[in-house]
Amino acid sequence: MNYLYFLYIEFLQRHNIPKLFGDITYYIIPFCIIAAALLVVVLGLVLVERKLLGFFTQRKGPNRVGWWGLLQTLADAFKLLCKENITPCKVDRFLFNLAPVLVFIPMMTALGIIPYSSEFTFVNTSTNVILYLILAAFPVLSIFLAGWASNNKYSLFGAARSISQVLSYELPMTFVILSVVVLASTMNLTGITLAQTSLWRFSGWFIFPGFLGFVILFICILAELNRCPFDLPEAESELICGYNTEYSGMRFAIFYLSEYGMLFANSLFLAVLFLGGYLSPFGKYFFSSSFLIYFEQAFWLFLKASIIVFLIIWIRATLPRLASFDLIKFSWAVLLPLSILNLFIAVIIKFMGAGLCF
Amino acid sequence: MTITTLKLNLGPQHPSTHGVLRLLLELDGEKILSCEPDIGYLHRGMEKMAEKLSYIQYLPTVDRIDYLAGFFYSELLCRIVEKALGIEIPEKVRVIRVLLLELNRISSHLLWIGAFLMDLGAVSPFFYAFRDREMILRYFEKLTGQRMMYNYFVFGGVRRDIDFLEEVENIISVVSEKLNDYDKIITENPIFLRRTLNKGILDKETALNYSITGVNLRASGVDFDYRFQDCLYKGFDIGTVVLEKGDAFTRYQARTLEIKESIKIIRQALDYLKKSAKLEQKLVNPVNLKLPEGDYYADIEAPRGLASCFVRSLGEKEPYRLKWRTGSYYSVNLLRKLLVGEFLNDAIAISGSLDIILPEVDK
Amino acid sequence: MDWNKFYEVFSDCEIQGSKILIKSRLHDVIKFIKENYPFDILKEIIAIHNQDGSFELIYHLYSTIDEENLLISIFVKDKAESIVDLFKSAQADENEIYDLFGIEFTGNDNLKRLYMPESWEGHPLRKDYVQDDTRLCWNDDNDA
Repeated sequence: MNYLYFLYIEFLQRHNIPKLFGDITYYIIPFCIIAAALLVVVLGLVLVERKLLGFFTQRKGPNRVGWWGLLQTLADAFKLLCKENITPCKVDRFLFNLAPVLVFIPMMTALGIIPYSSEFTFVNTSTNVILYLILAAFPVLSIFLAGWASNNKYSLFGAARSISQVLSYELPMTFVILSVVVLASTMNLTGITLAQTSLWRFSGWFIFPGFLGFVILFICILAELNRCPFDLPEAESELICGYNTEYSGMRFAIFYLSEYGMLFANSLFLAVLFLGGYLSPFGKYFFSSSFLIYFEQAFWLFLKASIIVFLIIWIRATLPRLASFDLIKFSWAVLLPLSILNLFIAVIIKFMGAGLCF
Repeated sequence: MTITTLKLNLGPQHPSTHGVLRLLLELDGEKILSCEPDIGYLHRGMEKMAEKLSYIQYLPTVDRIDYLAGFFYSELLCRIVEKALGIEIPEKVRVIRVLLLELNRISSHLLWIGAFLMDLGAVSPFFYAFRDREMILRYFEKLTGQRMMYNYFVFGGVRRDIDFLEEVENIISVVSEKLNDYDKIITENPIFLRRTLNKGILDKETALNYSITGVNLRASGVDFDYRFQDCLYKGFDIGTVVLEKGDAFTRYQARTLEIKESIKIIRQALDYLKKSAKLEQKLVNPVNLKLPEGDYYADIEAPRGLASCFVRSLGEKEPYRLKWRTGSYYSVNLLRKLLVGEFLNDAIAISGSLDIILPEVDK
Repeated sequence: MDWNKFYEVFSDCEIQGSKILIKSRLHDVIKFIKENYPFDILKEIIAIHNQDGSFELIYHLYSTIDEENLLISIFVKDKAESIVDLFKSAQADENEIYDLFGIEFTGNDNLKRLYMPESWEGHPLRKDYVQDDTRLCWNDDNDA
C-alpha cells in the first residue's frame, strides 16, 4: 500500500467514513480519473496528429473551430455522439455490440498500470510488465470479433490481417521486454523506472545499453497499434476501413478513441521501459515540495511519451504501407533474431557488472 | 474438403478505384484468381450526344471526357474540324496549343503520382503533388477562366491570346525543382521500392496485344510516341522516355521522366512565344458549320495513351457518327490479365500504376 | 506496303489507300495481316449504323514499327466474327459494340451489357433507337 492510499484513508477517517468504503473506492476513483483524463488526452492527440500531418504536408490542419482549431476534435466527437448507431441487419448482433466494449477495457486498464509518478500508480502489482503484455495484445481479439461479426468481406480481411500481424510481432516484443526485465531485475514498472536512476542526469536510462531493443520495441508497437507503415488491417486504399467498416456513430468513435488511447498508453510504456519513466532527465527535480514533485514527474513522463507520439506521427507522414508478405517476413526474419541478440546483450551487460552502463 | 473461393466486389464505391470502377475479384485467401472489370457507372453517352449536337455545341462537353486532361480532347475535336475544312492554323496558335497540352500533361501526371502514392498508403506525397498541380491549375484558371473544363481551343484557333508567360516560367522552374524532392521521398524509399519493383510486369507482346499505348507502353520497351508524327509538334525537339522492364516502378519512373521531357518542350514553346507578335487568327464561324461528307480521323498522344476521334459526316450540322478512342479503356481491359495471381494489396498498386481514369473509360 | 501477297489470298477485297474493304472472312483477313504484315496494335473497332440498316465495322490496325494506319472495313447484318483470339483488346471493343449496337460476335462468349442495365431493351447508338425514352423519366406519374 502506498503513500496515496494512506493519505486517502486518513482523509476519509477524518470525516468518519468507514475504511471499507475507502478500500473499495480507492480502486474505482482512479478509473474515473483515467476515463476523464483519457478523453482530454485522446481529443488532444487527434488534434495534434491532424495538426502535425497538416504541417508535414504544408497545410494548416484544422483551424476553424475554436482558436487554432482547438475545439475541432470536440466538435467531431459531438457529431459522432449525435449520429445514429447503425447495426446492419446481417451482422451477429451480440458480437457486433460486444467488440467496441472489449476494445475499450484493455486500453483503460493499460493506462491504469503505468507509474505516472513515484507514488501514483493505480494498479501496482509485482508483475506489471506481464499484465501490460497481455493488455497490449488484447485489442486484437476485439478487432477480430468486430471483423468477424460485421459479416463484411473487407472487415474479415482486416481482422485476418490484424491477427497475423499481432501474432508475428508479439514474439520480438516479448523478447525485448524480457531484456529490460533482465537489466532491471524486476517486473514491476515502478521498479524498472527506479532501476534507471543514475548518478549523472540520464546516463542510466535503458535506451543506452538497449538502443537496439528500443528500436525493435518501437517497431513492434507500431505494428501492434496498426499504425503506418503497418496499417494493413485498416488500409484505407485496400480495405476501405478494415475491421471497422460497418461501424458508425458512437461505436466507431469508441474504436477510434481506443486506438488513440492505446497509442498513448504504448508511448507511455515505451517511455517507462527505455526513457527513464517519470525520472527527470536532469537528475534532479525543480520542485522541492513532495506534492509538486509528483506533478513534475508526471510532466516528464508525458513529455517523453509525447516525443514518441511525435515520432509515430512523423513516420505516418513519411512512409508508404508495407506489403502483407513483407510485413510478416520482416518480423520473423529480421526482428526476431535481433531481439534475441538484444536479450543476449542485456544478459551480458547485467552479468559483466552494472558499472558499464551506470 | 472442398475449397471455396471468396468473391470480392471491389468498388464501385471504393477509395482506390479512382472513381467508380468495379472489379469483381475471385480470391483465394488474398490471392487473386480472376478479375472481371465492370464499367459504366460514369457513362454519359458522349458519342450519342454528339449525334444530336452541332460541333460548337459539342465542343464544351468534350473536356469532360478526361477531366484531368481536357485540353487533349478539345484539341482532337478542333483538329477534326480543321482537317475537314482544310484550315491551316497559324504558327502561334500551334505553339500555344503545344504549351497548354504539355502543361496539362504535367498536371495530369502530377495528380497520378499523388494518387498512386496514396494507393500505396503514403499520405504526404499526395499533398505535395497537389500543391504543385495547383499552380498549373491556377494558371489555367487565369488564362481560360476554368480550372478543369477549359473550352479554350476553338475551331481554327484559341479563344484569346496567351498571357502571363512569366507564370509558366515560374511553374516549370518550381516543378523541375520539386521533382528532385519527389525522388528523395518516393524513389529512395525502400518500402516504395519493395511495393513496386517487379510488381505487375507487363511485357512488350502483352502490352501490344491489349492495345496499351502511351506511357504504359513505353515503360514496357516499345518506342512509340505519337508526338513524333503529330504535325502539331512540328519543329519541336521532343524527347521520349522508353524504359525496358514494364513493372509498376518503371511506369512510375517513366511518368516522372516524361514530366521532365514535357518541361523541355514547354521551354521551347516559351522561347517562341516570348518573341512572337500579337495573335492573329481567323476563326471558323461555328454557326451553320457543316463538315463536308466523309470520314475524318485524328490522333493525339494524351497522358493516358493514344486518344483518337473518328467522325463520319454526311454533310449535316451534326456528325453522323462520332467515336472516341481513349487510353484508359484498354488499360481496364488489361486488368483481367495483369491482376491474376497477385495479392490484394499488390493488385491495388498495379491497377494504380496503370493510371486509369474512369470518365475516360466510360465516356 | 506490298499488298500483292494479300491479293493472292483474298482476291475479292478492295484496297483504297490505307483502307481495305472486305465482304467476308473477317477473322481470316485480320489473322493473315497480323501474321504477314507488321501491324501489331488493334487501335479500335468503330461501328457505324448505316441508314440502310446494315452495320459497318471498321477495324483500325496500327503498326508501331512503320507508324502506319490500316483500316479494314466490313458490312455486317447483326452478327460478326470475333477476333478476340488475335487481339485481346478486341474484347473491350466488341463488348462495347455489343452493348451499344447489338451486334453479336461469334466466338466471343464473354459479352455482356456494359453501360446499359442487363435487362435494357434496345441499343442506344442504333439510328432507330427511340429518342424520347420514357424509361429514362423517373416521374411519380410513371410509376402507376
